[in-house]
Order: sequence, then C-alpha cells, then structure tokens
Amino acid sequence: MPSDAGARPKRRDDLSVRSVDGEVIVLDRSLSQVHQLNATASFVWERCDSHHTAEEIAAAMLDAFEIDIDVARDAVAMALHQFDRLGLLDRARA
Amino acid sequence: VPTLALNVLGRGVRIDCADPAAWPLVQGAYGAMLGEPAPTALHYSVRRADGTMPHLVLERPPQEPIEAVDAGALLACLDAEIAVAIQRLRHDLYVVHSAVLEHRQRAVMLVASSGGGKSTLAWALLHHGFGYLSDELAPVALPTLDVLPYPRALMVKRAPPRSYAMTPHALRSSRGFHVPIGVMPAAAWTTAADLGAIFFVERSPGARRASVARVGAAEAAVRLYANALNPLAHRGDGLDAAVRIVRERPCFTLVSADLPGTCAAVAAALDGGR
Repeated sequence: MPSDAGARPKRRDDLSVRSVDGEVIVLDRSLSQVHQLNATASFVWERCDSHHTAEEIAAAMLDAFEIDIDVARDAVAMALHQFDRLGLLDRARA
Repeated sequence: VPTLALNVLGRGVRIDCADPAAWPLVQGAYGAMLGEPAPTALHYSVRRADGTMPHLVLERPPQEPIEAVDAGALLACLDAEIAVAIQRLRHDLYVVHSAVLEHRQRAVMLVASSGGGKSTLAWALLHHGFGYLSDELAPVALPTLDVLPYPRALMVKRAPPRSYAMTPHALRSSRGFHVPIGVMPAAAWTTAADLGAIFFVERSPGARRASVARVGAAEAAVRLYANALNPLAHRGDGLDAAVRIVRERPCFTLVSADLPGTCAAVAAALDGGR
C-alpha cells in the first residue's frame, strides 16, 4: 500500500484490463489470476495512474458518488490496500 | 488391435487399445465420435505394462508414455491428453470447462469447477427433454457463438439419487459411472448449436431450494474466463472473447439444491428468457 499521503499509486503496466458495464476486470497473467472490481474499486483503479494521490482520488470520489469525505477516504484506502495485497500496483511507484 | 478412428472437433484421432479390459471403457467413452477417417492428427495406444504390476500404459509418441493403475485412471489420462491436444489443434475455438446440453435447439452451458455437480445436473436434465452435447468441454466458435458437440460419454462420480437412477447400461470404473451416448435417456446433439445461455452452477448444501439469478456482465466474464481452458490462444489474452460471450448471451448463477427442483429452475429460467 502507498506508504505516505503524497504517494501516487500506479497500476502495473503488464496487466490486461477491460471495463465492462462500469466495472473493471483485471487479468494478471503472471499469477494466473483474474479480478473483478466493484464500482468504487474500479473508480480508484482508473486513477492509479501515478498522477493522483489517495487524497485526490477520495476528493474525486465525492463528485461521483454521494458519500462524505471520510467514507471516500476509507473506500480509497481499502481499495489501494487490496490492490497492493493482490500485487496489482507498481511497487516501484507505491 | 481394436482401434477407434475418431473425428474429434474435425480432427482425426486414433486410439489403439490392446488391453481387453480397458477396451469397453475406451469404446464406450469415445464411440460416439467415430467419424470420417480424417488424416490422423493424434495417435494413442493403450497396452498392458510389462512386468508384474497390473498397470496400463498410454503411449503417445513422441512424448513419454503414461502409466495408469487401472482402466478408469487410464481413461482420465486419455481424456486429459485429448482435451489438451485438441485445443492446440483447434485454437480457433474458445474452450470452456463446462457441460453442454441442448434446449429448444440452443446450447446451454453448465459451468462449474470440478466436483461442482455439473455432470450430475446434466444427467438429471437429460430426463427432462434436454439433449446432450458435452460433459466436460464447451468448444465455442467465436464468429458465431455456436457450441460444437463433444460427445464423450457423460461421467458422474457417484450414483445419482433414485429419481434419476443410473442406467444399468452405464460402464463402471474406479472414477465412477460412464454413460455412453447410446444409453442416455435423451438424444445426443450432433451438430453445432447456437449458445443460448450460461449457468454458473454453485453447490450450497444448506440451500432448501434451487435458485437462479441473472448475473452482471463483469462477474459473468470473470467466471467464464476462470473456466476457460485456452484463453491465451485468443486476442487480448482471451478476455475480449469472454466479455463478448457474456454480453451477447444471458448468464445466470444457479444455486443447486434437490435435483428435481434444480432442473425445474433451469427450465424456468430458460423459458422465461424466450
């Protein structure tokens, strides 16, 4: 998981990714795993582009979902934690 | 030596079986695939092992022979060998680990992990007017979304409940019951059938009744992909094909319970989608 608030998480470049009806499917060939992200995780995933901090992603989530900032921060933190646990982030950038 | 000259998904497969004990099982399993003698693309030979051990040997030059402890184990090896090899020969097909039945002239896929009950459910549905295409493999032609028949004998590991009692003509092995096409309670479908629906079968021992629910495209794509056997042979690592299939055909989760109720739930879902 990104270790500080200024970290700008980035998706691994070697993953196959498709968006299906607002949800993201991620194929990790190196681990022979395929993941389905729900709507909020998909929102976070699309912003893991090395340009956004977790706080910026949470702020963007406020506009997209009718939730308050604490809920958004929790959702972003949880999603980033999951992405990291599953090895989906570029660790050199995290 | 008794020989089967098969047409498996349009490719010639020859099986020589020199062991009289294994021959009825091999013949029963693959006899429905006898076909026009195409050039032999795959050639297997079965013989009794030399020496004192009662082993069977499956030869498949130029690869190393495989030893099996009995006819059931040998058939399992042969099944796996043919399934893998035929996917290489027909890499144009998107092959899913699935039973396939026919309903109203369309193919219905029952997708489940091994031991998930798809073969037993397929056996039960054959008593309700469904036709038979396949027990284990669903070869999908992507341009048309037709499913090709793969009429290997249906195999169930344990005796089904009395309401769908196993035919006395089934062959027994250490793996379970093998039901050749000719003794099934329904006809085998011999031509490709348009894919009509996909059911992702889930076992829930605590479920009081079977239930069917439509499943969203993303979840369906992941489930289908996870059961695809040769996805990497296809563009986009096979993800594009999975997404296309589930977008163009209805997909359901099926929580199975008692077999009659589960069969009724499948039929109701299919007829409701007409």
